Amino acid sequence: MVRHSRVCWVMLCFLLCAFASAQLLAQPPQPSAASQNPASSEQSAPGTGTTTVHNDVVIRGGTLLTVTHGRIENGSIYIHDGKIAAIGKTVQAPSNATVIDATGKWVMPGIIDSHSHIALDDDVNEATSPVTPHMMMKDAFNYNDKEIYRALAGGVTTSLLLHGSANMIGGQAIVIKHKYGLGRDELFFPGAPQSIKFASGENPKRVYGGRNQVPSTRMGNFEVMRQAFTEAREYMRDWDEYNAKVKKGDKEARVPKKDLKLEALADVLRGKLLVQIHCYRADEFLTEMAIAKEFGYKIRAFHHAVEAYKVADQMAANGVAIATWPDWWGFKYEAWDGIPWNAVISMHKGVRVAIKSDSGDVTRRLNQEAGKIIHYGNVSEEDALKMITLNPAWIIGVDDRVGSLDVGKDADISIWNSYPLSSGALADQVLIDGDVYFDRSLPGLGLTHYKEAQ
Amino acid sequence: MLKICVVVLVLVAASLGQLSNKKSPQPPAKAPQPATSNGTVALRGGKLLTITHGVIENGVVVIQNGKIAAVGAAGSTAIPGGAKVIDVTGMTVYPGLIDSETHLGLTEISADRSTNDTLENSDEIMPHMHVSDAFHAETALIPVARVNGITNAIVAPAIGDTLPGQDSFIQLSGRSANEMLMVRDIALPLNFTGVQRRNESFERAKFPQTRMGMAAQLRQAFLDAQDYEQKMADYEKKKASGSDKPGNPPKKDLKLEALLPYLHAQKPVVLAAEEPNDVETALDLAREFHLKVILNHVTHAASLLDKIAATGFPVIVGPIYEQPKESERYDAVFSLPAKMAQHGIKIAFASYEAHQVRNLPYAAGYAVGFGLPYDEALKAITINPAQMWGVDQQLGSLDVGKMANIVVANGDPLDVKTDVKHVFIAGEEIPLVNKQTELRDRYWQ
Repeated sequence: MVRHSRVCWVMLCFLLCAFASAQLLAQPPQPSAASQNPASSEQSAPGTGTTTVHNDVVIRGGTLLTVTHGRIENGSIYIHDGKIAAIGKTVQAPSNATVIDATGKWVMPGIIDSHSHIALDDDVNEATSPVTPHMMMKDAFNYNDKEIYRALAGGVTTSLLLHGSANMIGGQAIVIKHKYGLGRDELFFPGAPQSIKFASGENPKRVYGGRNQVPSTRMGNFEVMRQAFTEAREYMRDWDEYNAKVKKGDKEARVPKKDLKLEALADVLRGKLLVQIHCYRADEFLTEMAIAKEFGYKIRAFHHAVEAYKVADQMAANGVAIATWPDWWGFKYEAWDGIPWNAVISMHKGVRVAIKSDSGDVTRRLNQEAGKIIHYGNVSEEDALKMITLNPAWIIGVDDRVGSLDVGKDADISIWNSYPLSSGALADQVLIDGDVYFDRSLPGLGLTHYKEAQ
Repeated sequence: MLKICVVVLVLVAASLGQLSNKKSPQPPAKAPQPATSNGTVALRGGKLLTITHGVIENGVVVIQNGKIAAVGAAGSTAIPGGAKVIDVTGMTVYPGLIDSETHLGLTEISADRSTNDTLENSDEIMPHMHVSDAFHAETALIPVARVNGITNAIVAPAIGDTLPGQDSFIQLSGRSANEMLMVRDIALPLNFTGVQRRNESFERAKFPQTRMGMAAQLRQAFLDAQDYEQKMADYEKKKASGSDKPGNPPKKDLKLEALLPYLHAQKPVVLAAEEPNDVETALDLAREFHLKVILNHVTHAASLLDKIAATGFPVIVGPIYEQPKESERYDAVFSLPAKMAQHGIKIAFASYEAHQVRNLPYAAGYAVGFGLPYDEALKAITINPAQMWGVDQQLGSLDVGKMANIVVANGDPLDVKTDVKHVFIAGEEIPLVNKQTELRDRYWQ
């Protein structure tokens, strides 16, 4: 789809013959009022126009790692109204666009972390019942937490903030953009689908088994889930019957009680929520997929998934992705068979793989973590990059909006002082929706939108 | 039932560990075969990072009798007849990496208590614990670590006690604990980071509840050891003078006796502190008792670097992935090694890990990103720790006469993308296999 639209633009430009010599890949889709006066070229001095157009930005001179269509050496990106409007060897942009000189630098999409628990203080587990699908992460989100800033400084622009794994069904997550310094609602990724966090294995059975409650075994874990969805089915049936009666004009129909917990589970069954499951062991992936089939919902991704390589073909057949670490293992039994080739084996068997942090530390250096996949799996640059950009974007359900340097996508872009998939690369600047939020050259915290003690 | 399962799993895990630790794919009963009939190996054509005398492009290293017999440029370094020549053109050759704090051999599965021997938690003062007594040579973790080029490490107890017991320095290869424990009781960790204060609640009412209590307890332990030594000396003197009534010898006290080599500064105390106030207190203690010191962590004490530099003490710095303070810039800790190097402080890196010892070089690489000169980063995982631990005659550089702990990799040793191709420990090539490569090979088809 993306490729197709790019080809169209190239053809259109070619027909117009306006810039025959330029290797133009794209054009601004909707010239704004100010840029209708033509747009000479990005080389023009910025700020000469009488009206300043908010958010006309050109990044030029860097090596662009597009993720979807290879490298562009010494390329440029034109950003208009927060979106990537053009990308190529050269681009057409208004003369008054702000220019970011990336000569000698590396430019890639903002990093996306599909498994994070930052900015939630300690409110990640409502560990008082193994099924709490109605716990809304939004209610706990601490948007002032500096962890958001520190991840931003490591090139991260979008994160999925998930519940912990104490409960079989923990609650509903939030997707944020790391616009540190803005107000709470401005950090939410607009229009991102709602995800729900499930867990399995050692953590729920330890938490509740430790209190001599169900579940204390994997048998208990899964039965708790089946019971919950069985109840949710009945709840849905009651509502469906009621709605049918109302539709028929039955004025006597009695309104069933609204139940937040069952309503949330019903939303899983209705396919309204992306199901994200904390799961380590091969046998448990299979059980989870069987339960999903039994109740008719889809699993978006297994998280941690350290044994994915053992049953990757079956995951691929079900269209389930994984969000994993490159090399964590051995910290508990269910992580004992973790291997650093998990990502690459799963990828070769057709699974969409994301590298995630699950850590306020590691989220600051996911670029390094993706580099490890080249070390262990000898994967291509593009495949390694996808694991921290486009693939996590798919897991979160925002891959049509972010995760690659393509025309029409949000201008969430990280600019690096050296090759990002290496040990010592530093993010120099990080843009979100075309606006710079972090600039390493600035004194203090390097933030552009943050005021201390706000 | 659960218990039985756990026992079975432990047995399976242990046998897996043993399997993966076999040094050679040859029949298990046989001793590993030497590399060639005369045991001489030559690595030819690689880029040598010698550490002590620069970089040699297109160099040769000759390994004989477990040691480095020659190092030099390809043109001028003779390869003995009969040597097994390994062409390492395009590769980087460097000394085995040294991790200055690990828990290798003390843990298998972190969450399973039965596989953990990292801390004797009953008292804060436990200098008579020796990690060498717990070190599990057959751990599955060591073969995982060494495939990334880590050949030597400090094994330390966990940080929970003020004096948790004595470290050992290990070689990451050998047929038994005896072969792998190169130096037992090499150093004494002294932890003053706040987490040792575990009697905080008033209900428990057990000394020590505060940092004051911990410092007082520690001072008293040192004073008791000095007093003990004096009493022992008095008794010996009396006996030697031929007194007919020397009395009974003072009661042997292993705890106090364990402190004596450290009070005589014969061995280093590894002084761990993170915050400036704790570093100051720890330095006071070191001064009072004339300790030989290696500082550890110092993660948030950038304000004290002048003072630390003036002591001349070397520092194990990190983990540099520790979060900065809320008010600090994101790179306050990442850039600490660079600042220390600017102050002329000798630094070493540590993974502080067991399962992830293999990631040691990447911390050094990250510090380079934040301003640490590359050569200093490399030294901080080779010659600097060798010097700090007193093994620099044997390890830490590509120099003639040193033990042949050598790594060959396809690129920069500090980069995450680099893959290690050969590891030699004491001149013996180590098969790059472990529990994880076996699983990879079983499933990657």
